[in-house]
Amino acid sequence: MNKFFIKKLPLIFFIFVPILFLWHPNWLGFLGVQPYWPLLWLLPWSMINGSINGLIFGLFLGLILDSLTLDSNFTQIPGLILCGFLFGRIKVHDHILVGHFRYGLICAFGSALCGTLYFFQILLKNFSDSTFTLFIPSVQNILAEVFLTGFFAPLVCSQLLKIFKIFK
Amino acid sequence: MLDIRRISTSRWWHKQKSWIFFGIFLFLVFVRISKGSFYKDFYYFISKPFWPGQFQKEVILKSIDQESLIKLNLLKKDNIRLREILSLQESSNIDRISAAVISRKTGGWWRQLILNKGSKDGVEIGSTVIGPGGLLGRVKNTSMFTSSVTLITSPESKLGVWVDRIQISGLMVGLGDDYPSLIIYSKDADIKVGDFVSSSPASTLLPPNIPIGIVQSVEDPFRAKKKAKISLFAQPHVIDWVQILKSKN
Repeated sequence: MNKFFIKKLPLIFFIFVPILFLWHPNWLGFLGVQPYWPLLWLLPWSMINGSINGLIFGLFLGLILDSLTLDSNFTQIPGLILCGFLFGRIKVHDHILVGHFRYGLICAFGSALCGTLYFFQILLKNFSDSTFTLFIPSVQNILAEVFLTGFFAPLVCSQLLKIFKIFK
Repeated sequence: MLDIRRISTSRWWHKQKSWIFFGIFLFLVFVRISKGSFYKDFYYFISKPFWPGQFQKEVILKSIDQESLIKLNLLKKDNIRLREILSLQESSNIDRISAAVISRKTGGWWRQLILNKGSKDGVEIGSTVIGPGGLLGRVKNTSMFTSSVTLITSPESKLGVWVDRIQISGLMVGLGDDYPSLIIYSKDADIKVGDFVSSSPASTLLPPNIPIGIVQSVEDPFRAKKKAKISLFAQPHVIDWVQILKSKN
């Protein structure tokens, strides 16, 4: 039983991603925005298991997170698939300090990518309405999310990477 | 000549792992189609010990006072008007269900609440959700134990509202920030900062006269279509308890 749990630890962390997404702890947020939690799990997972695994689990995460949000017209799947695939191409860096900061930068980039793809969907849906009014809050959302994800990534990703490596 | 022959006959569909992944994929598609009701119910049980208690007294009492005063005035006016026209003596007995907020997203892309009452407790899709201060949103989705509410600040929310001072209807659209936009399709509408906005008496989605907010600023006053930013009475980021009004049938 114990062995089973240890072997499946990355998947147990995977289950916690939607829970964190639902929990939405305000004290970790900035301007009411949260870090983009799925990327913090997807980066170490993809780095260890490769692009195809990253892509598949990006799709899985997207499907789950889409089911938890009420906006049925917009989806997070394209962003997460793309990030999962791209993250899989990154190799683990030897230099610890460079590695840590790299996670921040990569996750910030991934979050910007996901945020922009999501924003484009909203923009396309509301194209007939005045789009400019949507523009300012959306850019603010993207920037806050990029900042927070980049801020938390070195802390979370390096720990997760360590755990995933041990239990691979 | 060397004959190139495939030594292994192994294909992806011969691997058990591929079928497991395919099975997981199908299951997740099912989860997606059912709007994650399993996950929400699971979250309901694990978040149960952390549900909000009865605090935030000050914020809530202040909002309730404000709401009651405005509501009372509106109801008085409405009552007099209706009695004059139709001599109606109907009292509004709307069923209310109290619910606690167990998950909230009040910033960012997704503006929604998840409440601890679901279809088991009689919550229906389309029911109006109010909190201390006034209107919060509408129930978009229910699972057995939970219901998900689209907040009026969400870009998906579009509601008919009523500006009481100038007696005109408008459309309130969420923009994804804390201040939804009120659009009035009339050049002559004399909308001013401080005007009070409530749910429209003509609305088919909401019960009439639920306080919503106050006009904070008016944009483009010289155009045919007037726009205003609304500052909401109800504060979804601090409210822990809400009431669900059963939808009109």
